[in-house]
Amino acid sequence: MKEIKRYARLYKVFVAQFFKYIVQSKVDFLLGLMGFFLTQAAGIAFLYLVFEQIPALADWTLPQLIFIYGFAQIPRGIDHLFTDNIWLVAWNYIVNGQFDRYMLRPMNLFFQVICEKLQPDALGELLVGTILLIVSLSNGVVTIGGTKVLLLVVSMIAGAVIYTSVKLLFASFAFWMKISGPVLYTAYQLADFAKYPTEIYAKGIRFIITWVIPFAFVAYLPASYFLKPQVSPWSTIGVECILAVVGFGIAYGVFYFGTKAYESAGN
Amino acid sequence: MKNRRWGVYVPFALNELKRNLAYKGSFYLFILCSCFGAFISYYLWMAIYGSSETGILGGLTRNEMILYVFMTYVTGNLVNVEIVGYMENDVREGAVVMNLIKPIDYRLSLISKALGCVGYRFLAPSIFVWIGLEIYKAAVMGMNVISIGNALLYLVSTLFSVLIYQLFDFCFGLMAFVTTYMFGLKMAKNALISFLTGQLIPISFFPEIFQRIFDFLPFSSMLYTPVMIYLGKYTGEALAVVLLRQVIWIVVLYGLGTFLWQRITKRLIVLGG
Amino acid sequence: MEIEVRNVSKEFVSPKKYPGLKGAVKGLFSNEKVRKMAVEDISFSIEQGEIVGYIGSNGAGKSTTIKMLTGILEPTRGECLVHGINPSKERKKNAQNIGVVFGQRTQLWWDLPLSESFTILKEIYNVSDDEYKAQMKFLNQVLELEEFFTRPVRNLSLGQRMRADLGAALLHNPKVLYLDEPTIGLDLVVKDNIRKAIREINEKYRTTVVLTTHDIEDIEELCSRIIIIDDGRKIYDGSLAELKEKYGVTRKVTMEVKNIKEALQVDLSSLLKVPKEAYQITAEMGTNSVEIAFDKHCLGISEVIAQYMQHTEVRDIQIQETELSEIVKVIYRHGMEQENKQEEGMVS
Repeated sequence: MKEIKRYARLYKVFVAQFFKYIVQSKVDFLLGLMGFFLTQAAGIAFLYLVFEQIPALADWTLPQLIFIYGFAQIPRGIDHLFTDNIWLVAWNYIVNGQFDRYMLRPMNLFFQVICEKLQPDALGELLVGTILLIVSLSNGVVTIGGTKVLLLVVSMIAGAVIYTSVKLLFASFAFWMKISGPVLYTAYQLADFAKYPTEIYAKGIRFIITWVIPFAFVAYLPASYFLKPQVSPWSTIGVECILAVVGFGIAYGVFYFGTKAYESAGN
Repeated sequence: MKNRRWGVYVPFALNELKRNLAYKGSFYLFILCSCFGAFISYYLWMAIYGSSETGILGGLTRNEMILYVFMTYVTGNLVNVEIVGYMENDVREGAVVMNLIKPIDYRLSLISKALGCVGYRFLAPSIFVWIGLEIYKAAVMGMNVISIGNALLYLVSTLFSVLIYQLFDFCFGLMAFVTTYMFGLKMAKNALISFLTGQLIPISFFPEIFQRIFDFLPFSSMLYTPVMIYLGKYTGEALAVVLLRQVIWIVVLYGLGTFLWQRITKRLIVLGG
Repeated sequence: MEIEVRNVSKEFVSPKKYPGLKGAVKGLFSNEKVRKMAVEDISFSIEQGEIVGYIGSNGAGKSTTIKMLTGILEPTRGECLVHGINPSKERKKNAQNIGVVFGQRTQLWWDLPLSESFTILKEIYNVSDDEYKAQMKFLNQVLELEEFFTRPVRNLSLGQRMRADLGAALLHNPKVLYLDEPTIGLDLVVKDNIRKAIREINEKYRTTVVLTTHDIEDIEELCSRIIIIDDGRKIYDGSLAELKEKYGVTRKVTMEVKNIKEALQVDLSSLLKVPKEAYQITAEMGTNSVEIAFDKHCLGISEVIAQYMQHTEVRDIQIQETELSEIVKVIYRHGMEQENKQEEGMVS
């Protein structure tokens, strides 16, 4: 208990820094938001242009696709906000030997990595996701209430944990490869597959994004539970939670063994 | 003398090529995985064509769309080498001022570096994807492989695209002298680039009026032009027009870059005292 | 015993690199590995309160040893114990006992004000409010952190940053302090302050200090004992005085004279009654200077200078002690010879 309090106190210092940063650098913050909005706007505009030509895409209507698209943003945004520093492990910290400084401190290494930075750019994802969800709700594409609200929250958190696990796993490869940025980047890019209904993909790809790097469980599958009444919450959100727990366990294990193999720099 | 002048820039290109080859673990994976985006597009388009009744969307048949998707990948891979990243680094580390002292042109040194990276990407994986695509064309689609003339035209147009992109990126990268926070701007740029160059969706899908406007912007010359040349969509006069447009953009962006660079270095010298 | 190092070795394995562009391509398809012994079978022990200089040329294995003692690296063979704890097995427990400063790299938060870095470290090391206050007062006295306490770390000068880093390493009052080139790149005044601070901390808390450096003055002013390693092996372990006595026997005097020919006629061997082999004279015509290198056991420095002053007009005098790096070279050669002898001995 005392340990937890100590970690919480430390985290509070960094959260305070985060708010200070946002207040101090409004322009940067807004530029980041703008960049993000444009990226998402391009994605949505793409769907609009395509739906000019076709009435429905593999049984899904445009509003439904927009809901999936927006749903995908939120777990991604949560993970992005809290664990963005993992990227630096993959790209810089190990090859430069900057990871040394974590090793020198009497605290959990994973906690030290993630607590150092909260990423304001993630607010863009959270904002776009929320807006699209609100649009979908007001369109009547989805209706939620009661237990569905709870399931929505649980699914978003489990989805964020899946994101974190994927990042941590691939970033940990840097302990052996020195730089694992490109690998992590590509694994992370796989998440883009999950922005669309996964039945459009070939079986092999569908298998990979469902069971190997389970991004399908972050967005499309839980979103489909809210869109189609015949989909069971157990086979979507239930499995998502199990994958989150197991996935994080594996990623954390690899990270742990990685820190044992860490070679620092300058040799 | 002239030889020596250009020789100065060769090491920039070679170093960048070497740096890229150095991490071999990532090398194989990078090739494998960089195709993901193309595959997402491919499956998405196949589903879209499957849901369509006409079989021709935006003036492209299903087979043409497959070629479009993968050649966009091949070409985009070569074109989208961001020199703004180098510039940001140089500004942060104060290396730009060092470059001002050296008797070399800063922009040329950046573009040489970028060309080194383009060379690397041509080998890994652009050329192999392209060859694979030609085999697929002949074996599965029953189409003829590309003629040598057309391939050369495509390569020339792609080289123009590379130059346009880099000259544009140089102008954009000068923002790094004004703001230290490039992340948001880069993201905005990439969003615009992927949307307006035809990377995300062929420009022929846009409403007429937008297509007209795009004719007066440099973006379609950065990617759409070489890919459409590859598809044989331009012949005769139209071909000459799009190539000429590319050349004009090279000249215009070169001039713009020179102008902006002069203004900024003037300011740098004043600031530096 | 505060630090125990027993037969520790560290081996690094890395993929083989080939030179040139062709090499880069070749490297893609090869699987050859290069093994490098950074530290080979090193043992030593350090008592509480000692200040030990750990020296050697670049790449000799100094930093690798420090990194094993701090728990960053796990030894390939052998064992370290720091305050009774094995650093790589119980990293967190060990971390609470040690403080580390890497001269080349800060461990503070680059973008945050220094004060925030200390707030964070207070939480990380679980320092109570009272301890924090007391320790900050002491650190302010010896390191004068107050003048830049509110500035972001990236805006500090190198000297300020080093003081800040030292302060940060000491906030939790560690039992062992590791300093990896703590005065590198600093000007003389700052170097002096840093050394003074290290001495004061050592005196006040009996903190054990292990220090790597290239700067002989760091060693002379701080260390009672030095350990020298070369190519991963320990080649000397003992007091500095003894080292100098044994190996640093040559001294050099350089004199700028008015008339170099006159100066060269000074015959030290007959004037001071010493053999000619006891010294060596080099003259440089361009700058009109004579350099005399001599064994300090045979000749006194004042005698030499006096003789010259008597016989010729001297404009300027410089006296040089043997550089530590030269001593290290001598020892290295010596170590090799001994090894060879041992091997010969084993054969016969």
